[in-house]
Amino acid sequence: MEPDFLATVLLSSLSSASILLIATLGLAVVYGLMGVINLAHGEFLMVGAYSALTATQIGLPFLLAIPFAVFMTMLIGAVVELLIIRRLYGRIFDTMLATWGLGMVFNQTAVLLFGTVSPGIGMPQWNFRIGDFSLAVYPLTMIVVAALLLAFVYVLMTKTVYGMKARASIQEPQMAQAIGIDSARVNTLTFAIGCGLAGFAGAILLPIIPATPSMGLFFAVKGFLTVVVAGPVALTGTALTALGLGGGASVTASFMTSVIGDVFFFFVTALLLWLYPLGISSKWRRKL
Amino acid sequence: MKNTLKDVLGRLSLTSVIALASSAAFADVKVGAIFDLTGGLNIYGIQQNNALNLAIKNVNAAGGVNGETVTVVGYDAQSELSKYTQFAQTSVLRDGISAMFAGLTSSSREAIRPIFREANIPYFYSSLYEGGACDRQTFVTGSSASQQLNVLMNWAVETYGPKIYIMAPDYNFGTISGHWIHKFAADNGAEVVGEDYLALSVTDYAPTIQKIQAASPDVVVALPVGAAQTGFLEQFAAAGLKDTIGVVSTNYGSGNQQVVVSPQAGEGLVSAMGYFPSVESDANAAFKAAWEAEYGSDTPIVAGAVDVWNAVHLWAAAVNKAGTADTEEVIAALESGLTFEAPNGTVTLEPGSHHLRQDVYIARGNANSGFDIVQTFEDSAPTYENEMCDLIENPDLAEHFIPEG
Repeated sequence: MEPDFLATVLLSSLSSASILLIATLGLAVVYGLMGVINLAHGEFLMVGAYSALTATQIGLPFLLAIPFAVFMTMLIGAVVELLIIRRLYGRIFDTMLATWGLGMVFNQTAVLLFGTVSPGIGMPQWNFRIGDFSLAVYPLTMIVVAALLLAFVYVLMTKTVYGMKARASIQEPQMAQAIGIDSARVNTLTFAIGCGLAGFAGAILLPIIPATPSMGLFFAVKGFLTVVVAGPVALTGTALTALGLGGGASVTASFMTSVIGDVFFFFVTALLLWLYPLGISSKWRRKL
Repeated sequence: MKNTLKDVLGRLSLTSVIALASSAAFADVKVGAIFDLTGGLNIYGIQQNNALNLAIKNVNAAGGVNGETVTVVGYDAQSELSKYTQFAQTSVLRDGISAMFAGLTSSSREAIRPIFREANIPYFYSSLYEGGACDRQTFVTGSSASQQLNVLMNWAVETYGPKIYIMAPDYNFGTISGHWIHKFAADNGAEVVGEDYLALSVTDYAPTIQKIQAASPDVVVALPVGAAQTGFLEQFAAAGLKDTIGVVSTNYGSGNQQVVVSPQAGEGLVSAMGYFPSVESDANAAFKAAWEAEYGSDTPIVAGAVDVWNAVHLWAAAVNKAGTADTEEVIAALESGLTFEAPNGTVTLEPGSHHLRQDVYIARGNANSGFDIVQTFEDSAPTYENEMCDLIENPDLAEHFIPEG
């Protein structure tokens, strides 16, 4: 095997894993910190993509369109938490059903608002060569983005007052309230942050994955499985799982076919869930 | 007792009068429509449905069929296969339709084709597809894979060179198209140097792009289906490959992908299909004017919409020719070599194969997210379907032919 091919495979597999991690992190935060499986996560990602797209269409530069998308999805996320999620804490299947339905509503609303095809914004046409192989720069920058995003969420959840309140509110809601934490408000914020992360993903991935009403579906299954395999230690677990499953699938696809890449993903997922029914991190002593 | 009987009789006659009156008032011909108006496939389904309504309106404005107004009983299949069979049954059992226009994917066609065969109702399938459907009640107005690839592969080998790479979706449209690419490549003295069949949910095409570079082809035949696979073209261009490797397709643009792909990635991509909005003809100008008056000009018209338009007009012509909407007479009329001045040129319904002989256009994406027509191949025959399927000789044939090997 030529070293240049190997190097490109490694780099692009790392970028595949990073894209999966970026798309999944919001789901991991909401699941890990609140025990809520947000099946509308993919649709929040779609909302982020459309927000960013609309922002660029009215003339905002792409770098400002990203925070706009985050703001929009956090806002919608907060409303959803107040109206729906709040009433369903501790009822995991009811939340799944409710968020699934919500996803359908979002999907159809996007069709009504934006139609079925919207112009893409395209990727920066930058590329570089390794030996005989040419690689696009933008997907590779996702590796750095994923690392920064992970660090940001980790610090936010472990080193800040909000992070401590967030974990306290969901782990010991009564105790948290007793010491004066407004746990309801903290939960709204946490859910909004999870949705904001989805919005961030939709916006930053927009050049790679064009905005379409049904784009949420592409991430729903793999993102959901990644979080479930990761288990209770949401952040570290998800990062590791995304790297292993997403990267592994991409390497497999490079050497064999994309279908076998998918088979790898689902087979390893099944195997890991058989070995660790509660997720790979169920026996770890870490918190996040 | 007597009174009651009289009563009943009176009521009976009253209801029969009402029934007569209502059947007189609704003496119109009903046609059914099932398209994906919601869900992932509505990128195609909404336009197909728009085309159907516009075509029916056009037929009615021209006096209907045999002087009767045509009405549509429409259903939204929600991009779900089970809904197709459910609504097909409903339309047969309850609505009393004279013809059905439905379906986008081949799986949807194969799910409902037996229902209309059983009910003996003409069924029109209007989408480009992998080819080979053969059934007395089924009429196909889209172009088949061999019909498009025959001309496209010849052109691509001549224009780019003899080394070909295939990127296609991993289901029968992709794999059967792959078969034809292999065959027409061999016919043109070219060679397939690699192929990758992808699930519709794949969003990251880095592995495919590396394999393409490792195989270093002259041209990639890319058949992206669905929103996710459109990303392949974007990623291919961003890797800087578009300038050295040609990209040709038989379905790029069928769902307005040229709008989704950024202009810098879409410029220069080549597609071969039965219709592009930039076709220059009076029929197309009139069709586009009618379309824009009804639906605006925001979204370019896709080939599938024109296929539905053609299907409705061919059916109406057959009903007028037969003088009745009854199935046997209509099928006989449809099998009489009908032609229609379509937006995409003159189309002829082949009596034996129930497929359309029609123009195939090769077009190149331009910088304004549109297509410039490079070459027109007039009156291309659905050769494979004509060869396999002769429903005049063999009216009992009901098969989906798949090329062997």
